[in-house]
Amino acid sequence: MNNWISKIPEQIKLLAVVVTVIITAFLIVRPMLIPAGFGEQGHFRSGALNDAVAVQFKYAGKASCVECHDDMTDMLAGGYHKKLSCEVCHGPLAGHIDDPDENTPSFPRERTLCPVCHEYLSSRPTGFPQIVSQSHNSLKACISCHEPHDPVPPDVPSQCSACHGEISRSKAVSHHVDIECEFCHTTPELHKTSPRQYRPSKPQNREFCGQCHTKNSKHNTKAPRIDLATHETRYDCWQCHYPHLPEAR
Amino acid sequence: MEEIVQHLTPLLDQVTGYIYPNEIELHWGLLVVIYPYLTGLVAGAFILASLVKVFNVKELQPTYRLSLLTALAFIVIAPLPLLAHLGHPEKSFEIFLTPNVNSAMAMFGFVYAWYLMAVLLLELWFDFRQDLVTMANESKGFKRLFYRTISLFSKDLSEKAIAFDHKAVRVITIIGIPSAFLLHGYVGFLFGSIKANPWWSSVLIPIVFLFSAIVSGVALVILLYMVITPLRNKVVDMLCLDKLASYLFYIMIVDFSLEILDFIHRVYESEESISILASLVQNKLFSSLVIMQVLMGMILPLFTIAAVKTFKVPADLRKLLYFISAILVQVGIFSTRWNVVIGGQLFSKSFMGLTTYKMTFFGLEGLLVSIGLLIMPFIILWILIKILDPWRSEDAALSTPTTGQ
Repeated sequence: MNNWISKIPEQIKLLAVVVTVIITAFLIVRPMLIPAGFGEQGHFRSGALNDAVAVQFKYAGKASCVECHDDMTDMLAGGYHKKLSCEVCHGPLAGHIDDPDENTPSFPRERTLCPVCHEYLSSRPTGFPQIVSQSHNSLKACISCHEPHDPVPPDVPSQCSACHGEISRSKAVSHHVDIECEFCHTTPELHKTSPRQYRPSKPQNREFCGQCHTKNSKHNTKAPRIDLATHETRYDCWQCHYPHLPEAR
Repeated sequence: MEEIVQHLTPLLDQVTGYIYPNEIELHWGLLVVIYPYLTGLVAGAFILASLVKVFNVKELQPTYRLSLLTALAFIVIAPLPLLAHLGHPEKSFEIFLTPNVNSAMAMFGFVYAWYLMAVLLLELWFDFRQDLVTMANESKGFKRLFYRTISLFSKDLSEKAIAFDHKAVRVITIIGIPSAFLLHGYVGFLFGSIKANPWWSSVLIPIVFLFSAIVSGVALVILLYMVITPLRNKVVDMLCLDKLASYLFYIMIVDFSLEILDFIHRVYESEESISILASLVQNKLFSSLVIMQVLMGMILPLFTIAAVKTFKVPADLRKLLYFISAILVQVGIFSTRWNVVIGGQLFSKSFMGLTTYKMTFFGLEGLLVSIGLLIMPFIILWILIKILDPWRSEDAALSTPTTGQ
């Protein structure tokens, strides 16, 4: 036995001691360092659940605001911001519920907050009010013209582009630039004040585009011409051509 | 609230198209770029060292110990960017106490520990044991105790024991090669397995990471060898340097081919993400990917080394061109890491928009800390060289320096 041990190189013996010390130390220390409750309910410390429960609420929720500020929440409910929570603009208000005098909400008056949603972005939904803040009354605070709890334009928009920025920008660089919106869309006057209740019409058939684009059309002679009887008869025009930028593919 | 708006408003100006609100600001910043860069250098330096011991490339002997010590100096610092990024470094050891086999990131802790403890430290110990025992015997007082301790109180300097050291080094290196592949392949795996991100999700990513790691490691050792040798008042061994440059050249060709393969594969597959990725490369990543990674970091050094290998270039000019190429390769590989980590977060999961990365200077995630983390391995390497004197036996054997041209 002794002979066998003496044949083991010195290095292996020394390393075996080091490895044994490390493993033993690890096995002794490990149970002391694992937090209490670990693994009881999963791969986590069960006490973490209580910690999570004990975290102080920062947001109170819209329902809490209604209790005192029903005038504001009623106004909000009738406007376009009805789906927004009060705390989106006024910040977390759980502290305000506990002590209204000590913790007052924030009232954003700068021009930075509104553009987070209303700055022009081509991918925002059509009809969503968008502005280019640098050119849109750049020295005025948003709230000096718009009531944030019932936001409507201070004046009835005179042009479609006031709300339909993406369409008007696309059309501006297309061959349809000179065609007025009203040529294709019949728009009730009330659409300007109640856009969702009174919607503009849209062309319903192939013949509408055919007014300019059939072989026999007497309109603008430069428009591309097709034979409606043979050109992709199973589809409506808009399924292949985007009318506000027909060049797009 | 106002604070968040103030913070996000300047970023919003840089956003193009549509992105989700939680994508405006990047979650992984410069520190997460540094982390794969450092681990890549570790794996690369080790693979270079293994060429000497396993594949018996004698020309590279002068860089063997330097490569190993470089790997050690960098692996010690490699996890620090992650710890700084995650916060709570005091909790990091818990992944060893309560191993979670379902977490790729948690299991990486074991890969890292295996590589550090079972491969690098062990190989270094066997390789330096004879020197450590000799240095302990030659010194006194605290120094003697120090060397005795790190030699684990070993004393045996018999021929048999030294032969066993050599054998052990060879065996550990053979185990070390797949371990080094695992170490950096794993870093690539962490990115490649994120299937929700089309910029990362690719089975080729671990392999591309691995080869770019070897490229960066070899280039780093070239730089260190060329800087340290004159500082030691020695002459750079041109045979060694030429061999290093040759290996750098061949591995770069493999790396470049893999990257091209990945690129062609993505373009041919042309999944729904291809247009936003094309936009990403043409806009946000144009300078860091097309110019820095591909042109400066890959094509220019490849052509330079190819030219050196083709034409008879004088030794001094060769040294200069190798040095510049190695620096360019470092810039290129750092850009590779940047383009993977930052690039992968610059486009929206809606595939309809791009955001931007705003780097800070101060703060834990800032440029200053990152520069510090990149300098620290060199300080550690300097200390290791001072303590272990890796050229001790070489200096003793050679009374006059060789040029080997």
